Amino acid sequence: MNPAKYFKSMRTGLDLPQAIAEADRCLLCHDAPCSKGCPADTRPAEFIRKLRFRNVTGAIRTIKENNILGGACGELCPTHRLCEKACSARFTSLARPEGADRPVPIGRIQRFLVEHSWQIGFKPLQRSIARSEPIAVVGAGPAGLSCAAELAKNGYPVTVFESRPEPGGVLRYGVVSYRFSLDFLRNELKDIEDLGVEFKCNHPIEGPAEAERLLKNGFRAVFLAPGLWAAEALAPQAPPINGVHSSVDYLSALRDGRFRETADRIAGKTVAVIGGGSVAMDCVESAAKLGAGDVYLIYRRSYAQMPAEPDERIEAQEAGVHFLLLNQPIDYVIGRGRRLKGLKLVRTCLGAPDASGRRSPKPVKGSEWVLACDVAIEAIGNRPAPDSPNWYPRVKLAGNNLIQANPRTGRTSVRGIFAGGDIVRGPALVVQAVADGKAAARAIRRYLHG
Amino acid sequence: MATNIDLSVDFCGLRFNNPFLLSSSPVSNSAEMVERAFQAGWSGVVFKTLNSDRLPITHPSPRMHYVNYGGRPAMAYQNVEQISDRPLRHNLLEFLYLKKHYPAYPIVASIMGFFEDEWVYLAKACEDNGVDMLELNFSCPHMCIEGSGHKVGQAFHLLERFTAAVKRAVSIPVMAKMTPNITDMTEPALYAKKGGADAISAINTVRGISEIGREDWVPRPNVFGVGAISGTSGPAVKPIGLNFIASMAKCRELDLPLSGMGGIETWVDALEYLLVGATTLQVTSGIMHYGYRIVEDLVEGLSDYMASKGIGRVSELIGRALPHLQETDHFDLSRQGIVQYNLDRCIGCGQCHVVCSDAAGQAVEWDPRKRRPRLIEDKCLSCMLCQAVCPVPGLIAYREMPSGWKRRETAVKDESHEPELKHESFTKEGPHECVA
Repeated sequence: MNPAKYFKSMRTGLDLPQAIAEADRCLLCHDAPCSKGCPADTRPAEFIRKLRFRNVTGAIRTIKENNILGGACGELCPTHRLCEKACSARFTSLARPEGADRPVPIGRIQRFLVEHSWQIGFKPLQRSIARSEPIAVVGAGPAGLSCAAELAKNGYPVTVFESRPEPGGVLRYGVVSYRFSLDFLRNELKDIEDLGVEFKCNHPIEGPAEAERLLKNGFRAVFLAPGLWAAEALAPQAPPINGVHSSVDYLSALRDGRFRETADRIAGKTVAVIGGGSVAMDCVESAAKLGAGDVYLIYRRSYAQMPAEPDERIEAQEAGVHFLLLNQPIDYVIGRGRRLKGLKLVRTCLGAPDASGRRSPKPVKGSEWVLACDVAIEAIGNRPAPDSPNWYPRVKLAGNNLIQANPRTGRTSVRGIFAGGDIVRGPALVVQAVADGKAAARAIRRYLHG
Repeated sequence: MATNIDLSVDFCGLRFNNPFLLSSSPVSNSAEMVERAFQAGWSGVVFKTLNSDRLPITHPSPRMHYVNYGGRPAMAYQNVEQISDRPLRHNLLEFLYLKKHYPAYPIVASIMGFFEDEWVYLAKACEDNGVDMLELNFSCPHMCIEGSGHKVGQAFHLLERFTAAVKRAVSIPVMAKMTPNITDMTEPALYAKKGGADAISAINTVRGISEIGREDWVPRPNVFGVGAISGTSGPAVKPIGLNFIASMAKCRELDLPLSGMGGIETWVDALEYLLVGATTLQVTSGIMHYGYRIVEDLVEGLSDYMASKGIGRVSELIGRALPHLQETDHFDLSRQGIVQYNLDRCIGCGQCHVVCSDAAGQAVEWDPRKRRPRLIEDKCLSCMLCQAVCPVPGLIAYREMPSGWKRRETAVKDESHEPELKHESFTKEGPHECVA
C-alpha cells in the first residue's frame, strides 16, 4: 500500500447508534469518577448523560464549552488512566456481560460527538458581548488554543502568534496522520476561528524581550505557551551526523510537506529509534508503516518501565517493531561523509529504583556491541528552545529553562504575563495543556477586572 | 432436554404437540412459511386472516415501524399490515397441502367478514378444506370500516351475532380473537360465549403510535406523508396481554379455554401466560424479530423448567398464579418491610441515592469518601426503586420488619407556617366506595 495514502486515514470513529449504545451502558453515577478524572474538566458524566437522554446537541455543548479541543482529546487522551479508569460500568461484568470488564469508551464517545457537530453543522459556542481588552497568546498549540478560545468566548479580542506556518502546535507538527488527521485538526481549529480568534502564523515572538514588549504594544495580558520544540540529544555538542534525526524533526517532517523525502529516506532501511515514551512509539510505528526494512526500538530499561501507554506499545509490536530492551546507546558508528553506520550499545540490567521510581539501568561491563543501522531517531525528550529565556528576560524560570508559573492560575513573576502548557509543566498531555489554557484565561479575566 | 416431560396440550378437543402456535400475521402467510415453522418445532398455526375476495386488499407501504429502547432495537413493533392479500383459493390450497403433509399439526384459520353471509361463507370454505378450527378476527386494530376488525370487537352485539352465525354453519371449534383496545375484555368475551364460541384468544395488537418523525412530523410508518394509529406489539405489550388473559381466566362465568399472546419471546414469557390461564400460546413479534428458531428455546426452556419443578404436564401449570392474583384490598397492610443492602458487591455508582432522594423517602445517604450508600432504615418506603436501578443483581433485597415496626413520617419542611394554615378535618361519615 502506498504509505502516503495509509498516513491519510485516521481510525474511524463511532457512529450515532454505536455511541448511543455505549452511552446506554453508562450507570449515570451519582458522583461520577469519570468527571473527576478529566484534567480539563470536560465533564464526561454530563455529556454521556445528555447523549443517553438523546440530548445530542447538549452533549456537544458540554464538551465544547469545557474543552475546546474535545475532539483531539477524545482521540488522543490516554483515557484508560484518566476518565475511564474508575468507570463503574467496568465493574458490572458479572451482571452485564455486554459490558464485560470494559469501561464506557468515553474518549471515543467524546470524539464522536465533536465530529457529529461538524457533520450536522451545529455550533455550540457563541461569543458574549465584545470587550475592549486585547490579549496576546504566544504559541498556537493546545494550551494557547485553549486559552484563546476561552477568552474569545468571553468577548476578548485575542491574537495568537505562531512561529510555524499553521496553528495546532503538537497536534499539527508532532502527531502522525494515521493517529490524528489534518482534516480533523482543521475542523477543530475552525471552531476556534469561528469565535473570532485571530491567528498570526509565521510570526515568531522570539526576539530579545519581544514577548514582554507585547504588553507595551497594546495587549493587556500575554499568555506564553511556546511549547517544547528543541530536542534532547545523545551528544548535543557533536557535529551533525548524516542519518541521525531528532523525533521532533522526524515527526514534523511527516506533517510539514517533507513527507515524500522522509518516506524515501526510511523505506527499505534499518531504523533505530532511541527512547521508550509515546513519541518513540509514534516514531517506530510510523517508520514501520513507511516500509523500513527493520525497525528497532532501543530502550535502556525493560518493558514494564516504559513511559509509553500500553496500547501504544502493543500497536508498535503488532507493526513489526523489534523491541531491544535493556540496551543503552553509548555512541554512533560513523562512516565516510559522516554517514551513520551503526549504533554502539551496551547491555544493561536493572538496579534499584531511581528518582522517577523506576528501576534504573546499570551497564553490563564488556557487553558493548554494534547494531548496524542506516537511520537513528532520538526520541529521548523535548526541551525549550535554548534562546527562549531571552524572549521574556524578566520572567522567572524554573530548572531546564521551563517557566515558573502558578499551577492554578498560570501567573508568572511578571504582572500581566501568564504561562502554561509544556513550557511550564515539561512534557505533558494535550488535555493538561487545555486545562492550563482554561485556568490562565480565567486568571487573566480576574487580573483585568479585579 | 428434559425427557418424560409432556408439553402437549388439549385445546377445544384438538391435540397440540406443545402450546406454541404461530399467530395470524405475516409469519403465517403461506404454506411454504408454515411448513418451515412446523419443521422448526411450532405445534400449529393460526393462518393469516382470510377474506372473501370481495374487497381487494392492498398493503400500505411501508407496513411497519418499531420502538427502540436505548441501544436495543424493537421493544415494540408497529404495523399497518392488512389481512391476507392472497386470493381465497390460494389460501385454501395451502390448507390442503399442509393437512396432507402435516396431519398432526392443527390448522386454525383466521377469518374476517363484514356481514353474516360473508363470515359463514369463509367459515365453510375453511372447514371444507380441512381446517381444524376457526379464529374469528374481531380485533384488527387499524380497520376503519364500521363492522370490521376491532370495531366489531367493540360492538358486542355484532360480535355475538357473527359468532353465532359461524357456529351454526360449521362443526369445527370456533375461537373469538379479542381486541385489547377496550376497558374490560370479559364483557365482549361473554358475548362471544353467548354466540357459541368455544375459546377466546387475546390480545390482538394495542392501538398505538410508535414514533413521530422529528423532521416531517409524520407518525411512523410514514406512508407517503400519512401515519395512522395502528397496531403495537412486541415485548412492550406483554403486561397488557397478561392482564386481559388473567382477567378472563378469573371470570367464572366465562370459563372458556384461552389462547394467550402479546410479547412472548422466551419460555419465561410463555410460562407467565400459562400461569395466568392460557392453554395455547401464539407468537408473531418474537418471530418477526428472531425467526422461527426461537421455538427451540421455548420448548427446551419450558421443559427443563417443568422438570426442575417436578411438573410432568403443561396442564398442571395453567392458571396456577390465579389464586395469588387478587384486588389490592386483599393486601395485608399490617406487614411492612424495608430494603436490605449487601454492600460487599456494591460498585459505588450511587444510583440508589439518586432515585431515593428524588423519587422516594430520602432514605439512602451517600458517603462521598467511600462512595457507598448508607440506608436510614426507618425512612425506607420499600418502594424497591433502588433495586430496579441497581446494576448488581441481588445486591438489594426486601426484608420484612418485625410487627410493630414503624416508618418515620415524612418531615414537614417548615412548621413555622402553622399560624397561616387554613385547615379543618373532614368529619362527614360516608361509604367506603364511590357513590353517585
